[in-house]
Amino acid sequence: MLGQAIADGILTGAIIALGAIGVSFGLQILRFANFAHSELVTWGAYLALVFVTFAGPGTPTGPLSFGWQLIAAMVFAGVLTGVLAWVVDILVFRRLRNSDAHPLSMVFAAFGVALVMRHVVVLIWGHGSYFYTRELQIALEVLPGIRMLPDQIFILGLTFVVVAAMHLYLTYSRTGMAMRAMAESPSLARVCGVQVESVVRWTWFISGGLAAMAGVFLGLTPQLHPEMGFNLLLALFAAAILGGAGSLIGAVVGGLLVGLAENLSVLFISPGYKTAMPFLVLLLVLFFRPQGLFGEKEGSR
Amino acid sequence: MKTTLGVAAALATIALMGPAPASAQQVSCPVKIGGILPLTGSMAPITKKIAESAQLALEHINQGGGIKGCPVELVLRDDQGQPTVGVDAAKYLVEVERVPAITGTISSGVTGPIISSVTGPSKIVQISCCSTASAFTLDGRSGGYFFRTLPTSKTQAFATASEITRRGLKKTAIIYVNTDFGVDMTKFVKLALPKLGGEIVAEVPYNDNQSSYRAEVTKALAAKPESLLLIGFPKDAVTIVREWLSLGGPQQIALNNSMRVMDFVNGVGPRFLNESFGMDNAQVAGPTVDAFNQAFEAKYKTDSKGPGVHTQYDALMVLGLAMNIAKDLTGPSIKDAVRQVHAAGGAQVGTGPEEFKKAISLIKDGKPIKYFGATGPIEFDANGDVTGPALVWKIKDGEIVTDRVISIEEMQALFKKVE
Repeated sequence: MLGQAIADGILTGAIIALGAIGVSFGLQILRFANFAHSELVTWGAYLALVFVTFAGPGTPTGPLSFGWQLIAAMVFAGVLTGVLAWVVDILVFRRLRNSDAHPLSMVFAAFGVALVMRHVVVLIWGHGSYFYTRELQIALEVLPGIRMLPDQIFILGLTFVVVAAMHLYLTYSRTGMAMRAMAESPSLARVCGVQVESVVRWTWFISGGLAAMAGVFLGLTPQLHPEMGFNLLLALFAAAILGGAGSLIGAVVGGLLVGLAENLSVLFISPGYKTAMPFLVLLLVLFFRPQGLFGEKEGSR
Repeated sequence: MKTTLGVAAALATIALMGPAPASAQQVSCPVKIGGILPLTGSMAPITKKIAESAQLALEHINQGGGIKGCPVELVLRDDQGQPTVGVDAAKYLVEVERVPAITGTISSGVTGPIISSVTGPSKIVQISCCSTASAFTLDGRSGGYFFRTLPTSKTQAFATASEITRRGLKKTAIIYVNTDFGVDMTKFVKLALPKLGGEIVAEVPYNDNQSSYRAEVTKALAAKPESLLLIGFPKDAVTIVREWLSLGGPQQIALNNSMRVMDFVNGVGPRFLNESFGMDNAQVAGPTVDAFNQAFEAKYKTDSKGPGVHTQYDALMVLGLAMNIAKDLTGPSIKDAVRQVHAAGGAQVGTGPEEFKKAISLIKDGKPIKYFGATGPIEFDANGDVTGPALVWKIKDGEIVTDRVISIEEMQALFKKVE
């Protein structure tokens, strides 16, 4: 029971982590709470669906329920969602940023964008549910008492590879360094010759791409519907704030903690209260570390 | 002058008091019955037919002789699907129009407040066509003045419990949606299953709209059940059932009526649902039902299908009969009379004006009647609820088919066994 809850928690957490990275970047680099981020998750899932509809989910490869087509679909959706995020920025957020809008205006604009994006999904695909594949997998007993689906093991593996790659990229590439500089202090970064608009573009692109990945994984377990991203929104913000805004590792750890808090709580209390647990953990952490687990204290340097 | 007035008043009082036993039969015409329905608002589309059905019942009552020789008038008010408006409407009907009985309304969220703040305290009989929340008749707020003509979730819950045990499934885990509906259903399954020889090994509530329910499923599976009873709504149920099967749960899955849609079956995949089964209320057949359907179609040039259409007709007919049976038109008398509408050993009466006329002449002769309405036999239990027949459905070759029907007699026997 305990082992299974931990395994389930890590899996849920991995998907939340992918989405939380974008929220965390938005909070720190773009300096506003992007409530439309959850819709990028939904859009990513549906864009991959478009690819799968044309290419088919592919014949199941080995123990997995899908073939290479779904991986290709994910790449396709990742790129397009990244572009979508950037387009939304040009249409809405950049204008507000350039006119020095109040952060609250940005938040409300984000709410508006989220509503529009969600309803465009409803308009195109309708309210019903979609599936990438109709296959149903039977869980393998990976460790005594712990059952996982092959798909889930694959999701976990891929998530960790992508997160590790992102970490290296942010640490060593010029863009990565510029993004971190922006996160530290936008004005200082600008003075030092960082191309602000280029960093903003990359931030949106990477956030969108990772959100799409989360969306595809979410759609694999097991269905796509227009509210799939929206239902995850609070968990994403909890994870991003828990880990500390702007920190990649923080967002990942935050995501895992949220997933674990939800799944482990079921062992002690009624699952009816499951969704409240991450916020309890969030409050506890913020009492002791208001900047989040991995966040830097404002003005500490 | 003052004395004269006083004497006159006293005389008048005596005149009123004197023939009291006889005046019980002399009611002032026309007799008013209150009606509350959401004629506007989000429920309006389904209310139209329900209101038409009420109108039809009123016509049949009037053509069949009215109430105690008087024509009957239905004072219908709109509740807009809102509790405050509904309560105001009920207050108006009781305090201004002075109706002795009310029929209404649809939404349980409106019916509840009306019972607690108007009809319960003022001892006014209320019969609803459509509100299912079981609490109304169980928590004592109605004081026995509330009745309804549609089966509550109890019927479905008991039928489910009996079908689970009939299939020889001993250990059942329940996963239910954490709403009034889910909690209600679970409560009644818990009441029935142990008495019928089953056992509930796990009870797991879930909140809707989550991306995954592995934690809930894992918790239910930990008790090693032989079957799952899933009470909820299709979208989340697809996720739950798929995760249940993936994590090695048995394919014996019992489902509630909401899952009787192809969206659910195709979402899970029909080939995984060969062992599963579900419940729903069954449509009653019989001559009195056919007679109602024909009368409705003849009058409104449209079929009588739809929620509440049959039950609303019966709600008003029951009031019409009960108010004829009652010795006077006060709440307590009507309340007692409602229970004599389907008396054991009574002469059978059905739907339509002729049958109503027949019922009135039987009542005048002091003979018991047994009303069979648009929804079949209307027999209220101790709480003021009716049972109805249920059907068991299953999935065969990718289609939802009816497995068997649990007749109303079987349901009543089941109720007696459990309670």
